Amino acid sequence: MNSIIITRAGTHSTIQDFGRFQYQHLGISPSGAMDQRIITELQKIIPNHQNQFLEFAYVGPSIKVKEGSVKICIGGNCNMSIQKNNNSQLECQSYKSINLFEGDELIIHNTIDSVYGYIAFEHGLGLEPCLNSYSTDTKARIGSINRPLNDEDIFHINKDVSSWDLISIPKPDLEKVTNFKVYPGPQLQYFSDNTLQSFISGVFTITNQSDRMGIRLKGESLISSKSHDILSEGILPGSIQVPSDGQPIVLMRDIPCTGGYPKIAILNEVDISRISQLPPETKITFDLQTIY
Amino acid sequence: MYFKGINSYGDRGLVLDFGNETSKSISQEVNETFLNISNLNLPSLNIIPSFNKIVVIFENSKIRDQNKDKISMKMKDTNSQTNKKVTKTWEIPACYNEDFALDIKIIQKLHQITKEEVINLHSSVRYYTYYIGFMPGFPYLGDVPSQLITPRLATPRVKIPARSIGIAKNHTCIYPKVSPGGWNIIGQIPFDIFDLQSSYPSLFLPGDEVKFYSVSLSEFEKIRKYNFSLNELIKEYSS
Repeated sequence: MNSIIITRAGTHSTIQDFGRFQYQHLGISPSGAMDQRIITELQKIIPNHQNQFLEFAYVGPSIKVKEGSVKICIGGNCNMSIQKNNNSQLECQSYKSINLFEGDELIIHNTIDSVYGYIAFEHGLGLEPCLNSYSTDTKARIGSINRPLNDEDIFHINKDVSSWDLISIPKPDLEKVTNFKVYPGPQLQYFSDNTLQSFISGVFTITNQSDRMGIRLKGESLISSKSHDILSEGILPGSIQVPSDGQPIVLMRDIPCTGGYPKIAILNEVDISRISQLPPETKITFDLQTIY
Repeated sequence: MYFKGINSYGDRGLVLDFGNETSKSISQEVNETFLNISNLNLPSLNIIPSFNKIVVIFENSKIRDQNKDKISMKMKDTNSQTNKKVTKTWEIPACYNEDFALDIKIIQKLHQITKEEVINLHSSVRYYTYYIGFMPGFPYLGDVPSQLITPRLATPRVKIPARSIGIAKNHTCIYPKVSPGGWNIIGQIPFDIFDLQSSYPSLFLPGDEVKFYSVSLSEFEKIRKYNFSLNELIKEYSS
């Protein structure tokens, strides 16, 4: 038996996978990793991850091997180290497998110039899926663990590490993007040409009122010429909705299942991952694609 | 036929448009279409019906474009609308006791009617389940009799008890879990309508018909103690 204990949960640490689908018509959000590019990369190093990835934001978790040993890999741009059982400290890198033995403690201090980081565990974390997914929606309290991780949480990993061989991949090119090509949203015609011009030419700032549900932007007010109150309809992550204060919100993975604000535009799938990594105060711009 | 056409929603979504109005007959067409599209077993990630739209989401634009025609064809093929009825009709016990009916006086005052009249009116109608949304398993039911139509609370409640029955505008609802919310609370039902342990976690589905019947507090307590599972509730309270 192998087990790990969370010695410091960090902020916003949750279990995520590629998302929970086929349930949005029952009011259940897709959730899933905010930056899906990273867990896609981690699959190459830890193929047997069982879809049980640990996601963290800003301040990372510390994890100690309580019993046995585990093989893990970290994804993202993180400041971190390993405190060995014998009190020595080891450097460690993202996108390179790490073998941890009883008493070793992985300490992820923080993410650098980004928001989200991930840990993949060989053989997963011994969790049972909830509605065919391991993802956590903390607001709806749905998930294998239906809350953020806490200090002292313990995970049992029944299977032993398959091989101690160190595996690494070149650091993926997850370039920082601040200009986003967007598609017209279903309510594009709710906004006048002048307002659309402000949307395209304006600079928007990511505010600290941003989380897994949505990223709130601050910029020139985008007031609808028609209404900011529409009959609720199905929405998908990446949609940019505009409530009556004119400040757009980019809807993210823990999306409300239906929404009643007009959607001016929508990001493509990979840009949802990209925008999730931009810390508050980052300035962004939009390019509207007219033909698609 | 209210169906107007199919539009793109970003690079991986489609919106089936049924106009801008809302009515039970539009919702019936939406919910029948929802079942028809679901039965196509397309590689879609989510199919989300609402009052007059159905949003279909795919993994990427390539898969979306490959499947758009299949949906268009299904929409044109009116002969295929031979949907076997899978929706249910529910008779749901409701306790309108003052301990639960937190806002019933607001409705009484607005419409100048007695508490008994509110209860009789609310339990006289077979409601249609427009769709499930807002929170997991939350049914939008309607329409309530015109003498009960009441705006949302001016200040939403921070904590509405789980299983509460609410009225807002021409809709009535049941809160599956404790939640903030602005609906006028008039009673409570004695069991959970959302259960993650169940393979199909929501008791109600879009298109279901729901009628409430008034039970006393002692009857309410009796039912509550059974702790019915969703499967048991289906056997007990639906047809």
